[in-house]
Amino acid sequence: MDLHLTPEQTLLRDSAAKFVVAAGPKVARVFREQDPSFAPARLCQAGDLGWLGILVPCSANGLGLGLTELALVLEQAGRGLVCEPIGLAAISAAALAQGHAPHPMLERAMAGEALIVPALQENVHGDNPLAPRTQVAGENGTLRLTGRKMFVCADGADGFLVSASGRDGPTLCYVARNAPGCVLATTQTVEGRKLSTLSLKDAPADFVPARQSSRNAVDALHNLALMALSAELLGVMEKAQEITFDYLRIRKQFGKLIGSFQALQHQAVNIYIRTETTRSLVFQVAANNDPYRIDPALAVAVKAKASEDALFVTKACIQLHGAIGFTDEHDIGLYLKRAMLLSSLFGNAAAQRRRYVAIAGLTA
Amino acid sequence: MFRRDTPAEAEFRMDVRTWLEANLPVALRGRTARPPPVELMPWYHKLSRKGWVAPHWPRQHGGMGATLNEQIIMTEELARIGAPQLPAQGLNHIGPILMEFGTDAQKAQHLPPIIAGTVIWAQGYSEPGAGSDLASLSTRATLEGNHFVVRGQKIWTTWAHHSDWMFALVRTDPQAQPRQAGISFLLLDLHSPGIRIRPIKTIAGDDEFSEVFFDDVIVPAENLVGKLHDGWRIANALLGHERLATSNPQFALMALERIKTMARASGIMADPTFQERLAAASIDVTALSALFSHAVELNNQGQSLGPESSMIKIFGSELLQALNDLLIEAAGGHALTDRPIATDFGEVDVAAPFLQSRRVTIYGGSSEIQRNVLARRVLNLPN
Repeated sequence: MDLHLTPEQTLLRDSAAKFVVAAGPKVARVFREQDPSFAPARLCQAGDLGWLGILVPCSANGLGLGLTELALVLEQAGRGLVCEPIGLAAISAAALAQGHAPHPMLERAMAGEALIVPALQENVHGDNPLAPRTQVAGENGTLRLTGRKMFVCADGADGFLVSASGRDGPTLCYVARNAPGCVLATTQTVEGRKLSTLSLKDAPADFVPARQSSRNAVDALHNLALMALSAELLGVMEKAQEITFDYLRIRKQFGKLIGSFQALQHQAVNIYIRTETTRSLVFQVAANNDPYRIDPALAVAVKAKASEDALFVTKACIQLHGAIGFTDEHDIGLYLKRAMLLSSLFGNAAAQRRRYVAIAGLTA
Repeated sequence: MFRRDTPAEAEFRMDVRTWLEANLPVALRGRTARPPPVELMPWYHKLSRKGWVAPHWPRQHGGMGATLNEQIIMTEELARIGAPQLPAQGLNHIGPILMEFGTDAQKAQHLPPIIAGTVIWAQGYSEPGAGSDLASLSTRATLEGNHFVVRGQKIWTTWAHHSDWMFALVRTDPQAQPRQAGISFLLLDLHSPGIRIRPIKTIAGDDEFSEVFFDDVIVPAENLVGKLHDGWRIANALLGHERLATSNPQFALMALERIKTMARASGIMADPTFQERLAAASIDVTALSALFSHAVELNNQGQSLGPESSMIKIFGSELLQALNDLLIEAAGGHALTDRPIATDFGEVDVAAPFLQSRRVTIYGGSSEIQRNVLARRVLNLPN
């Protein structure tokens, strides 16, 4: 179903769609082999368009927009298999803008000149983000971080937003990539992007304050990450679906277009239902939540559904293509791999469901 | 869940809630099957006197003229207190159809008794030989002078044995091609000579529907709605609206509460496997709420729902069945009893809602037919 958008939102979506024309599967293939696995100049371009500061309040030179606008841009990024980590950069900029005095890195982060990404996950399954084992000690100005973060999108990053437990509970800290005591161990993913384990040993860090309206800076950033990844997953599903339905309209077997076979039509409808329900969920939650205070049960629900549905859709798309879909040469596999990456980050569907149990009190 | 009430809406919600608490008999709350007319209609009459029986009808026809948001609030509050389902064929189907396609005389004759609850309507669409393939229907109406003679049979007719009138699709041109072009929309007085009605007991044990036999029934020509042979278009005109109304997430939300109560009573709520499955179901209910809000929002903007409404029907009905599967699982051995199960948290119906939910993927166009419609008309897949 169509989204009901304001003229400004439609313009934003169209400009994101234009940006994405220069991306796509061909470009994504090129970056599989490169370091970093995206074009820093394109990240700056996203910064020039204002997208990295999309949630940053106008008083801090951002666009001061909401989750709907963020989701509209990231949906397009997902469609275009964009390699630049626009979503992670944009939510990190939003986190850096929370205090009375914005963090010194904010300007460069919004411009795309410095890439700052969240480093929140500590466990293979992404357990409770509000109880990190990473410890923070000292006073602001002399803060020190010790701990380990997993699955950090550190590729090309200049700094990290790290969650840690401190005197006042879960605390968000900024640490520079080149800070002493900060070590990265990097592995290649199936998708082409690299993920790192970030080890911190007495690494110097800055305190990142929470916005007044939010419950907690770690909570705010984590929920933003779930929304951002879900919006991008939605775009991945949409594009994979379009490619597949086009194929059903041209491929012939038994002398007929395969899209005329009822078994395939019904599976196509199953794909469509997954995409549409994910779209409604992403955009209804986006429209009804403050970016700094997203209802955690809804954030978890969105990421659970988007993660599960994106995998369902992209797997089914390969099946509907037949053998050609199983080749590296065909683009449809790239969408499955991107769905694998995004659905796994910050906890896959099963991990989100387990968190939902705790948040919604589905216990004896 | 996603929509926030404005201050005026919040006040309206409280008015509705307070009035329902004071006026809905306790015996009618939380029933899984529709109570018989002798129990249900006094409640209908009470709602009617309050002016709340038809929130979606315009004021000129005796409705509330409520906004869509107010209508949602009404259904949410009715669901919250566990109000029984009213007979809907008059309020939701023939009423709106007559407002759009009926003559002034038809409106004057039929709309006021629907509001007052003095006449109950039935929908005569399906036939023994025309279920999913509805256009193949063969109940024949022959125009002879100033009346039709109707001969044939309808089946799966909800509440026909309690009804006074039926709106029916009848064949007026057996040679027409396509077959849809030979169908007309007719209003039949069920008390006419030549009509025989036999209730059919369902697997859930209730007698929600009947079969109806027509043996040369005389129907005045002025009971034709719209033009001769134009019945198919009229019957389909308001389908999107109907599907939206029936996909209200409140039924799923009620089912979820039933599962939680049963799972706590049976002890399975402590099981992590069950917890994760319940989380998955809850998340899907959240998605249904989002889908519904999204559709209502589009409706509010004047974009009427087309064949996409089939998607909401599939998702909502299949989810309701999945929820009832989980209910059966939560109940374990208790699932076999045909009575409500007494728990420390109140009585819970298990087998009845499970069995009743079998029908939701069949009525109003089966899930398979809905998928055919979506594949052709929304996804534009080839024939």
